[in-house]
Amino acid sequence: MSNAVNRQRGVEHDIVQPPQVAAAAPYYEPQANEIAVFEAAARRKLPVMLKGPTGCGKTRFLEYMAWRLKRALVTVSCHEDLTSSDLVGRFLLEGAQTVWQDGPLTRAVKAGAICYLDEIVEARTDSTVVIHSLTDHRRKLTLEKKGEEIDAHDDFLLVISYNPGYQTVLKDLKPSTKQRFIGLTFDFPTPEIEKKIIMTEVPGLPGDIATKLVATGNKARGLKDHGLDEVTSTRALVYAANLIVAGLPPVEACRAAMVHPMTDDIELSAALSEIISAHFD
Amino acid sequence: MAVSFSSDLQNALARLRELSALAARSAEENLPAILAHGHDAAAAWLDAAYRLISHDRDSGRAFIQGSLAAENASEQVLPWTEQALAFTRWAGAARAFEAFMHELPQAYGLLGHAGERRWAELGLRWCERHLDSGRAYFAVPVRELSGRSGIAGIEQILDCAEELYESRHLMLVSYLQGALRVRNLLGPQAVTPWAARGSDIMQSGRARGEAYFRLESEESLRLLLESLPGYRPVEHTRLLSLLVEIWFDETIDLKESAWTPEKGRPFIECDGQSLMLPPVLTDQDETVLSVLHSAGSMIHGSYDPRDVRRMFELSGLPAPREGEAIAMDPLFTRFGEDAQRFKLVFDIAEDLRVDMAVNRDVPNHLKRMLRAAESMGVPPDPAGSYYRYALDTIRLALGLPNDLDAGERELLLRLALPRAGIADAFEVALRLFESTRLPPIDSRESSVLAYLPGRSPNASRAFQPRERSSDSQGGESEGEQGEGEQQEQEAGEQEESESQETAGEREESSEADEQEATGTGTTSGVGTSRKRQEEQAGRGGSSDKGIPYPEWDYREQRLKRNWAWVQEKKLAESNLGEARRLEQEYAVALKKLKQALQAQKPTRLAPQRRQFEGEEIDLEAAITYVTERAAGMSPEATVYRRRELNQREVSVILLADLSTSIMQLLPEGRGRLVDRVRAGILLFAESLEMVGDSYAIAGFCSKYRDNVAYYRIKDFDEPWSSEVKAQVGGLSGRLATRMGTAIRHATACFNAVSSRRRLLLLVSDGRPEDYDDGGDRRYLHEDTRMAVKEAVARGVHPYCITVDTLANEYLPQIFGKGHYLVLDHINSLPRRLPEIYLKLRR
Repeated sequence: MSNAVNRQRGVEHDIVQPPQVAAAAPYYEPQANEIAVFEAAARRKLPVMLKGPTGCGKTRFLEYMAWRLKRALVTVSCHEDLTSSDLVGRFLLEGAQTVWQDGPLTRAVKAGAICYLDEIVEARTDSTVVIHSLTDHRRKLTLEKKGEEIDAHDDFLLVISYNPGYQTVLKDLKPSTKQRFIGLTFDFPTPEIEKKIIMTEVPGLPGDIATKLVATGNKARGLKDHGLDEVTSTRALVYAANLIVAGLPPVEACRAAMVHPMTDDIELSAALSEIISAHFD
Repeated sequence: MAVSFSSDLQNALARLRELSALAARSAEENLPAILAHGHDAAAAWLDAAYRLISHDRDSGRAFIQGSLAAENASEQVLPWTEQALAFTRWAGAARAFEAFMHELPQAYGLLGHAGERRWAELGLRWCERHLDSGRAYFAVPVRELSGRSGIAGIEQILDCAEELYESRHLMLVSYLQGALRVRNLLGPQAVTPWAARGSDIMQSGRARGEAYFRLESEESLRLLLESLPGYRPVEHTRLLSLLVEIWFDETIDLKESAWTPEKGRPFIECDGQSLMLPPVLTDQDETVLSVLHSAGSMIHGSYDPRDVRRMFELSGLPAPREGEAIAMDPLFTRFGEDAQRFKLVFDIAEDLRVDMAVNRDVPNHLKRMLRAAESMGVPPDPAGSYYRYALDTIRLALGLPNDLDAGERELLLRLALPRAGIADAFEVALRLFESTRLPPIDSRESSVLAYLPGRSPNASRAFQPRERSSDSQGGESEGEQGEGEQQEQEAGEQEESESQETAGEREESSEADEQEATGTGTTSGVGTSRKRQEEQAGRGGSSDKGIPYPEWDYREQRLKRNWAWVQEKKLAESNLGEARRLEQEYAVALKKLKQALQAQKPTRLAPQRRQFEGEEIDLEAAITYVTERAAGMSPEATVYRRRELNQREVSVILLADLSTSIMQLLPEGRGRLVDRVRAGILLFAESLEMVGDSYAIAGFCSKYRDNVAYYRIKDFDEPWSSEVKAQVGGLSGRLATRMGTAIRHATACFNAVSSRRRLLLLVSDGRPEDYDDGGDRRYLHEDTRMAVKEAVARGVHPYCITVDTLANEYLPQIFGKGHYLVLDHINSLPRRLPEIYLKLRR
């Protein structure tokens, strides 16, 4: 059914989606105790910070947790120009009148959703300040322009993600912000788990190809200190697996998914290609 | 005499006999064959013999003796007899003539009659000009001279000589050997450009030019190597070291070897510590295989001292002395004539062991090697037999069908065990050799062909022992293991006690130093305290002792107060010309950089939003303003955007390591490291001017703890003037690298600026070291780590850019993950430096 609709037009959703209890769980493969920690934090209404490299499963984890806790998930991708009113809300003109429109954070606070601020370091510092009062015992959101304060819904949960990499040398979160969160560190899964993930994500992929993909990815991650901004992610491996299942030869699929998007550096791509062709010989 | 000759021939013989009885006798023996071409021909021949002998005995003798073969090859007499007579025009032409007679049959055989005529004509022309050149010409075997393309090949190579003779008066003798080698190595089409280049060099100096043509000078060799076809490993050291690191998780030094084309097939060599790459290998595939194989042999214990001792024991030879480079030759020379044969068998066994071990780290390594070896083709015998044998051993390792017998298989598969070492390979080789069917082989030239692509002769040069780093020694027999460990332990203890000793010494000496320091302190006590006040008040440092900083001593786990002294200085040298030259050299890069900056300007220069005044309306702010007004609030009228260059949000100090090592020549031979550093600083400054961040440039070097020089090249508020550029142009290296102190001082320099974001960008080429660190690297490492921590605590972000490829060993500990970058390519420094900065400040 949904496929038929998707073929005709995109489907509109409100950003605050009530949890779909009947829906199947998003696939997530636990790596350590992250589920227990997250559940405990949610029970005690503590904000959570997810750390880890791009494409290692932070967002997927959160989708899974939202499903598990049966709460809506509101995701805001932060960028350089994100201001506090983008989060909290603003007045809009409607005819001769003005109307207040809640921002995504405000809506989540009211609805008792999980609000996920992705890559929070990218946002301007003034917008990180508005979350302070939400992250401690007060659990209040101040709408300065409206002269209001909102006590957060009991189910409201603030989650931020944060990718410590060298691009953030100058853009680190302030320690005073960081220490308000429960920290969960993610890394790429162990080879066994990663293989399982790839095989579940891409049904129809032969097991031996999955093993080789995982081994290739692990070796490629060794190049991190040599000028790669980001290393081969689990997502990239899943992409490669998708291309293979779609009929591309493995070496070509890997190049397309794991080399060309990563680097323009000739020697680095040669090194990556070497890894790939060695595994898929 | 069975044959009787006509009377005039008899007379001619008699005339000959008067000159030389010996010559007459051999003439008489050869005469019947000549006579087959008629009486006239015989008479002319005898006459020529007479004239040649009377001209020069050696020539005559060579003529008579060579005639039979010449007649045989040419089936005629008169043409070459006439050519021979031409030599009588010159005195002292005997050696040229002998060479001519020697090659004559070959010339007929390979070039035909017309070709021979041309060959002789060309040679005679050179004899006319310069007898030595003529001799050199005839001395070259015709086969080689023609390069398998007949007389055309000879003409082609001589045409260039002709031109060179006419334009530069270059003699064939100086040119010919080099030209032939160039043709052999690079093909006929390479000769003309090579000669043209030589002609230019000749113009700048005769001696230099001749050396070039004889391929004796550095420049001709370099040029030759540059034009060799194939893959150049040295240009890809970054890729190759990346691969070593990926697969083996180790850093191995890659150097350039002194291979030259006449040394035959190029191989990677190893001295136990680093790999020596030849200038050229066939292709990338062979290069990667070779690097993986050679690195694998280092890692999997081909140079392991314990194994080496065992091999000498097995051969009943005294073990090599410790601490000296080990040569394995005695192990092979024992076999006398069979030395080369045994060596090849041993190499096959050992290479198989290494490749099987590498195959555990690098998937499909053996498969790839087999494929490369099969596509390269089997060389001619006897090397071919060894080549096929080696192929079979690989097939065995891969479980493919092969021609080995059961005994061989059993022996070779022992080497597949992870704990097998080079000594096991040696044992296996000894056993295999007892019953080997491989043919004898003696010459080195043919034996080098026996190696599969990627493999090379083991221990081709003396090496330093290197413990195997693969942790696969688990199952070794108890006794040995125990012994080894004991020895290791002993060695360890010894080392420890030694290091304690040195530490003790150091302590003593440092105490002495301290006393000395306090000594000077008391003699001028008032002076120092005044200086300190000065320094606290502003930026003193004009005193000769300088500004003191503490230093961290990890052994005592404490900061030593006032330990290192920094003197601020201005650079004495300046070189505006060099700066201008670099600006020109990097003009294209700079233009690109500026364009990139221009394109990104709106975001780069992050327009200040919500301002009370500015040049454009901030639409979003304006709407908010209007709506809030309408909602009955009284918002501030901050509705403008303002673009301003000087945001002064970020300030950065570029701190360059000016130690001696930056004066090193670059491996590619194009300038020194310092050139790249200068260029990097220039580009950096230009782009910062564009971006508008406040920046300072400084350099540092040191000699002992009380003599750390900090050169202020540009201060934050100083304009980027031509004087400053000139100083950058004149940068040079001196002394050592006391990095921690320099970082502390630079951190202090940030006190003068108000920006919130402070970046200390270090450009370095090596680890922290100083003359007084007593060889204890850890000391200054720990101190630098501490200095970095202190800087971070004071709101300064240190970030290190290094061109030291071994930096991955120590930078992570010092600067922390993500706070350093190792540039694999020195040449990329100028371009990358601004890029990295812009990325950091994003």
